[in-house]
Amino acid sequence: MTGVIGRSVESITGALRAVFTAEQVAAADGVLQRRDPRVTLVAVAGLAVAVMITRTIAVTLVFAGLTLALAWLSSVPLRRLLARAAVVPLVSALIVLPQAVLLPGEVLASAFGLAVTDAGIAYVVLFTLRVGVGVALLSLIVLTTPFSAIIAALRQLWVPVALVWVIAVTYRYLFLFFDELQRLVLARNSRTRGEATLRGGWRDGRRVAGTFLLRTLDRGERVGRGMRARGGGRPPSPYGRSQSVDAADYALLVVAAAAVVSSGVVRWGL
Amino acid sequence: MEPVIDAHGLAHEYPDGTTAIRDVNLTVTEGERVAVIGANGSGKTTLQLALGGLIEPTAGSVEYFGETTDAEAVRERLGVLLQDPDDYLFNTTVREDIEYGPAQLGQSQATAARRVERLADELGLDSLLDRPPFRLSGGEKQRAAVASVLAFDPDVLMLDEPFGAVDATYQARIQQRIADHDGTVLLFTPSLDLVAELADRVVLVGRDGTIAADSSARAVLTNRTLLADHGLRPPTTVRLFDDIAEADDIPLTVESARAYLNGREP
Repeated sequence: MTGVIGRSVESITGALRAVFTAEQVAAADGVLQRRDPRVTLVAVAGLAVAVMITRTIAVTLVFAGLTLALAWLSSVPLRRLLARAAVVPLVSALIVLPQAVLLPGEVLASAFGLAVTDAGIAYVVLFTLRVGVGVALLSLIVLTTPFSAIIAALRQLWVPVALVWVIAVTYRYLFLFFDELQRLVLARNSRTRGEATLRGGWRDGRRVAGTFLLRTLDRGERVGRGMRARGGGRPPSPYGRSQSVDAADYALLVVAAAAVVSSGVVRWGL
Repeated sequence: MEPVIDAHGLAHEYPDGTTAIRDVNLTVTEGERVAVIGANGSGKTTLQLALGGLIEPTAGSVEYFGETTDAEAVRERLGVLLQDPDDYLFNTTVREDIEYGPAQLGQSQATAARRVERLADELGLDSLLDRPPFRLSGGEKQRAAVASVLAFDPDVLMLDEPFGAVDATYQARIQQRIADHDGTVLLFTPSLDLVAELADRVVLVGRDGTIAADSSARAVLTNRTLLADHGLRPPTTVRLFDDIAEADDIPLTVESARAYLNGREP
């Protein structure tokens, strides 16, 4: 467990903990942090929708620039934003990569009987870029708004209680799940010596898998009791951080609405 | 005084067949300070969860405030602190965790904000409010958990080992906070040294999960045979003064021991 599996667990847990440290960015002073959480949710989600509508690389790059500008104005470290937003587009790129040789177009290169076309490459680049910008925008919401404020805003925006509940519980349990796994790995490492081989790691991994499942269930049950002890059996109702919607809030909403309309016009025409 | 907790024939058996508590009859009246003691594995935690309405007993029932047997209906009046603070702190910051109870139980944001500030000051959490709970030390987590249960100002406190991993300074502050609580307190602990400081009545849970004794703190804490039979040792002061003082004069707390010694000085 000190080998590949242990390191994987540590890196996944580290990534999840980074989600929690996002609260520190949320507490910073910046453009998005000063917005009413409802406005941030609607406007930034609107920008993400505008990105999903677009079908041209140039427009997508404009949105990428807008996203980076918003991040800069909100004191979000670009490295952190890129680190959070990079994984999903990379996976997407792998999924759509075959389109580079499947779509008809001018052949740019060929090998092993497969021809890479310009249309195929353009599709892969556009798709990956759109996913990347969309994920970066959604990450901006999480990075600039405390999680409880997001949940409160969702409730105020009349999002169904069941959906808000699922989001709230998933967010909390996901972290606890990997925290438990890390504890098991640490307990194991404290009683082992040297670097485990891949085979040894898998063998140990199988051994702890059952224990992990039982411990996770047990911990889930105990945390559930901890929530119920403080009213967690009722629908989530965190205190809102909403304030009066000011001119800057309206301006952001107008920008987001204009982006959606413009993106639609560029794609479908008037 | 009105009974706030009234348990009849309470029993709980876990799915693996372990019977943690059996035939528990316990009535706690308003304003009482009760310590529930017992050896490890005697069923104290299970009893706390059953009394707090957080597990379904396999037999018996608990009536709350003479009104209902549904704990959820009176959840805002029951402050159940679980043994492990990691089970209690699941929000993204300490402040959100302390606010969680008041928010879920429909208390006003302004009141909650005042309580958060006061509790943070009393329990030394000011600089930790915006930190994620998982970044705290064991003692800090425990203090945050205690603050979380006090934040919604429940009528009844049911605290399972609230001093675990807390250093002496903050242990004294938590102790003071519990002593100042304007309501009923049930303290679940295997450590007897603090029991006499905080409770007038002691309930001893036996190894078989039944109530082995339910009497005044003095009657239980000075009964060496009873405690030994249930895997417990009397508090330090009792052990110190056992051969020095008469049974009825044995000091149960450090303060009373000091007073006793001062009284004996020539």
